[in-house]
Amino acid sequence: MNFLYFDPGLGAMIVQAVVAAAAGVLLFSKGVMYKIKGFLGLLKEDDDAYDSIDIDEKEDIDETK
Amino acid sequence: MKQNNTSPHQASFRDPSGYMFYDGDVLRRAINPIYFKQYNALKDSGFFKTLIKNKLLIPHTQTTVSDQQIVITPEPIAFITNPYEWSFEQYKHAALHTLKVHKYALSKGFILKDASAYNVTFHKGSPVFIDTLSFDFYEKDTPWRAYKQFITHFFGPLVLASYHGTEIFKMLQTHIDGIPVKLIASLLPGKSKLSSTIYTNIHLLAKMERTHSEDYKAETKIAKLSLKAQNNIIDNLFDFIKKLSIKEETEWGNYYDKTNYNDAAFQGKKTLIEDWVTALNPQRLIDIGGNDGTFARTVVTKVPHVIVTDIDSNAVGYNYKQIQQNKETNMLAFVCDVLQPAPGIGLNNSERNSLVERLKGYSPDVTMALALIHHITLSGNVPFDRSAQFFAAFSKHLILEFPTREDSWVSSLLVRKREFINHFDFYNQEAFEAGYKQYFDIQKKETVPGTKRVLYLLKNKV
Repeated sequence: MNFLYFDPGLGAMIVQAVVAAAAGVLLFSKGVMYKIKGFLGLLKEDDDAYDSIDIDEKEDIDETK
Repeated sequence: MKQNNTSPHQASFRDPSGYMFYDGDVLRRAINPIYFKQYNALKDSGFFKTLIKNKLLIPHTQTTVSDQQIVITPEPIAFITNPYEWSFEQYKHAALHTLKVHKYALSKGFILKDASAYNVTFHKGSPVFIDTLSFDFYEKDTPWRAYKQFITHFFGPLVLASYHGTEIFKMLQTHIDGIPVKLIASLLPGKSKLSSTIYTNIHLLAKMERTHSEDYKAETKIAKLSLKAQNNIIDNLFDFIKKLSIKEETEWGNYYDKTNYNDAAFQGKKTLIEDWVTALNPQRLIDIGGNDGTFARTVVTKVPHVIVTDIDSNAVGYNYKQIQQNKETNMLAFVCDVLQPAPGIGLNNSERNSLVERLKGYSPDVTMALALIHHITLSGNVPFDRSAQFFAAFSKHLILEFPTREDSWVSSLLVRKREFINHFDFYNQEAFEAGYKQYFDIQKKETVPGTKRVLYLLKNKV
């Protein structure tokens, strides 16, 4: 068990299973919609400046060469 | 490492993994043996390196290593802003940043064990994660322990702000550990339950917290959550937050379209400011009431660090957008109400410093207060010597624009006083100078061409 210096809240630990299930359904349907929109050429560009959630690690690989 | 001449940082005591302390003027972070295993794993696996390289985590160098303590020294941050001082965009980016860091951690077998909004601040124009010890090992199939904290510190306030406006963020001043889930749920309109993301992450969470609030012996078994499921939660929160927006009209949004001065006057004011600031050669400058940073931007290439604050969250948000677009790494924007600056909060009222304390620490060489004094004096009913005292507490030089009674904005403020208009006869240049001379020497004084406004250069007597 990791030590934890604040109470994570039991309800919050339990609820995550349901939250994840709902998120899974949503993400799946979004993925399907994305493909359909892409096929029909209806994709819009994102106007928020913050980039994606994923980190581009390519540079790190290059450096180790 | 010498142990004398050090003092602990007031905000750093909750996490047993380590603490921040001042070694003379330098802020360092001590790591306790309880966290050595994690620290070494994070360091040796290249985890820190990637995060730092991608500008997600504040860079640090390892200073000393012993059996009792490892000391690291993070890159200094010019000025710490707190969540209740952020515009909507900034708050949003801080939330997205936190999720991004956690997702990367998960992909490398770690977790973000702490999702406090105070672990993010703005540095070099972008959000940065500043708590280097907030990571731990991921244990297979365990839910995210900082999930609730993410909801009370980030998701809840953002969703509330999207319905009620950014004034909601000020609630963080009275709730240092985030807005309670129950309160968030009760403040949301019923229709918010129709969103499966808001329903599960807030309403259902509030319900579950209520149901399980009496598990005093920690007997209930915690459900398992696969890594894939946890990633789904994070991805979905990220997508949802990224699309959040607010619709807030403010008096300042299009301020420069509405003002009474023409292009020549605008240019004249810019030139005056540029000349005066350049002559002073400041290292740090703050523009209070600086709207979207229009005037601060005239000197941004000449001053190593510039802060622009405004009472209007929209103006600050617009400024933040420009900072990101122009890649102005030396400019920082945040929300501040001069008449009600952020107080010191938390343990001993010193866990998060008051705005005035932080301004004293920042110690700007030049403070600008352009077309602000009539609002402080006439809307806030603050006598001249009192506002002078406020500026004198942290400013060396003060560039202040004084709109005279003939200025249209001033006359409008005066007319609105109706039968009390005579109470404000003191609003004139003589009284202003008398009040400010108690704390400042007047070095320059010039009328902004084509306006009824006078620009002063004042030097602190101390």
